[in-house]
Amino acid sequence: MKYSSQKVAYWFFATCMLLFGLQIIYGFIMGFAHMGMDGLHPIIPFNVARAVHTNLLVMWLLAGFMGAAYFIVPDECEREIIWPKLAYVQLISFVTVGVVAIVGYHFFWWEGRKFLEIPRPLDYLVVVNVLLFVANIGLTIWKSKRHTTTSLVLFFGLLTAALLYLPGMISTDNQTMDSYWRWWVVHLWVEGVWELIMGAILSFLLIKLTGVDREVIEKWLYIIVGFTFLSGILGTGHHYYYIGTPRYWLIIGGLFSALEPLAFLGMAIYAIAMAKKGGRSHPNQTALSWTIGCSVMSFVGAGFLGFAHTLPQVNMYTHGTLVTAMHGHMAFWGAYAMLILAIITYAMPLLTGRNLFTRQSATFAFWTSNIGMTAMTVAFGIAGVAQVYLERRMGLDFLQVQKEIEVHFLGLVLAAVLFTAGIVAFIYNFIGYGFPSNESLKKYSGDVS
Amino acid sequence: MLTKSSARRFFLLGTMACSAAFVLLTLDTIKQVPKRTHEENLTPEVIRGKNLWDTSNCMGCHTIMGEGAYYAPELTKVFERRGETFIKSILRDPEAMYPGQRKMVNYHFSQQEIDDITAFLKWIGEVDLNGFPAKPDLGNVATAIHSTGSSPEGAVLPPVTFSQVCVACHAVGGAGGKVGPALDDIGLRKDAAYLSRWLTDPQAIKADSQMPKLPLSEKDIKDIVDYLMTLKNEVKK
Repeated sequence: MKYSSQKVAYWFFATCMLLFGLQIIYGFIMGFAHMGMDGLHPIIPFNVARAVHTNLLVMWLLAGFMGAAYFIVPDECEREIIWPKLAYVQLISFVTVGVVAIVGYHFFWWEGRKFLEIPRPLDYLVVVNVLLFVANIGLTIWKSKRHTTTSLVLFFGLLTAALLYLPGMISTDNQTMDSYWRWWVVHLWVEGVWELIMGAILSFLLIKLTGVDREVIEKWLYIIVGFTFLSGILGTGHHYYYIGTPRYWLIIGGLFSALEPLAFLGMAIYAIAMAKKGGRSHPNQTALSWTIGCSVMSFVGAGFLGFAHTLPQVNMYTHGTLVTAMHGHMAFWGAYAMLILAIITYAMPLLTGRNLFTRQSATFAFWTSNIGMTAMTVAFGIAGVAQVYLERRMGLDFLQVQKEIEVHFLGLVLAAVLFTAGIVAFIYNFIGYGFPSNESLKKYSGDVS
Repeated sequence: MLTKSSARRFFLLGTMACSAAFVLLTLDTIKQVPKRTHEENLTPEVIRGKNLWDTSNCMGCHTIMGEGAYYAPELTKVFERRGETFIKSILRDPEAMYPGQRKMVNYHFSQQEIDDITAFLKWIGEVDLNGFPAKPDLGNVATAIHSTGSSPEGAVLPPVTFSQVCVACHAVGGAGGKVGPALDDIGLRKDAAYLSRWLTDPQAIKADSQMPKLPLSEKDIKDIVDYLMTLKNEVKK
């Protein structure tokens, strides 16, 4: 750590750990409900667990992005954050809004729009909060003398993510248009501007961990985010096949989303090539594992498994089945969860001045969580494909099919136990690092020695 | 060799071109959607129904137009599939309709609210979804119900209420739910008088029956009983 204002990143990361842990608990509630064990139904019915599970994910990823930005921007800009105190205020208000939303869901205070369940009054608070954050980061970059591509791409990603939250607040009585605008937020986030943030964080990590020349890494960063937008923006069309929107979306969405895996493939090749080129001289090999792992798993989860059901002819049968859950879990894990865990693994030794990344539990966390998530994806995949054939193609009754596939949810829960063991090890290590301290200033630069 | 500035140009131009195309397509979509969704049918009832749909987070379990969660049935065509009687009954008391099965939250809707949600589901069923959801094309189990008859020569078609409501729990010829017993041989086991008393109030005959008392008209009951009496297929044990 070079600047004391970077310490605020620790508190954002700690928030991530807490919310991630909670997210997993609600995931188990749903897994068991699918197996027929729905004893919690009177207190936490499925739709509550579902809203909490997905919203906690969005919240902890956003907290992770913010923490990453507060850590990366001072380093890139070579100066302190312009308003360090505001960063703490912003964290506290972010957590407050989040907690109110999550608790509110248990009392049915929500909007009931998938992923954007947060009720309208809280939406405005989220907007104010994110604008404060963007201003803090933006002005820090503005006031500095060093404008790197990495920090600019990161800023542009964060700014557009904030702006793209707004279409989700367009009010309409027509379910089709409601859904249309909802995807402007959800799709253009995860398959658009969040990938800018992802590209920037990956590029920062690769510069630090591999020691490859910045000019080379940043040049490829442009190419990859260029491909992301080339495919991702019009790729939004794959959400507009069957919701009442015109038929031309089938062609546009099908064509452009078929290109989406290329952007992810590019990201994976890029990360692996840079790591090879750099000769891996950085001591924090665990952070490098998470970085490379992120690029590979995002290709498998978001790129490959997304493509598996994105063609209109296939999607006609898989749309609205557990096949989507299969793709969703590994896509979010690979692209975003692993990215946040990578930057945390990289930043923690620098923030706290302690070196725990060679611990066995750090390696255990990486492998166990990844194997667990892979097994979960397989379980979802089998359940989903069985559902597609039995229900959509043979016309069996919904509940009867759900009974048939219950056994795959046992598999899912077992895989999830493995995944959870990995995450528990990660959180255990996180706690082991202790709090950030000024003593670690200048102790480690974080660069390749 | 590619320079950093040409890489930047590729990124900026590509992004601008795609964004512009996306905005233009959006404008066209906004123009076409009212016709495709029959916006003229968006009555105050339907709009109130949509708001109830949202505020009850129905999407947290169900899918509509294929969007939502995968815990409960897809509802885009539910009005056509299950009909008004079934929808209103399940909204009134969800757990009565599928006894002992996966549970739905009981929001204690008023009669007005039940009518509103039903109107919303009717409206959404008429939206042009480019063919979604596709009809099952393997095995034709779902359509078998319409051709299952008492005897090979004269197939008797079930009344609409039967195909919408009863099949949610009971199967005939392998098609339908498995919550209640299959009805292939019901015509051999029971007589018409018993069946009409049963349909009027199951608990009056068997107090611990899990079958809900459905709001069926006298004509509904007569039609269903007439149909049930034709089901005389021996079930192989």
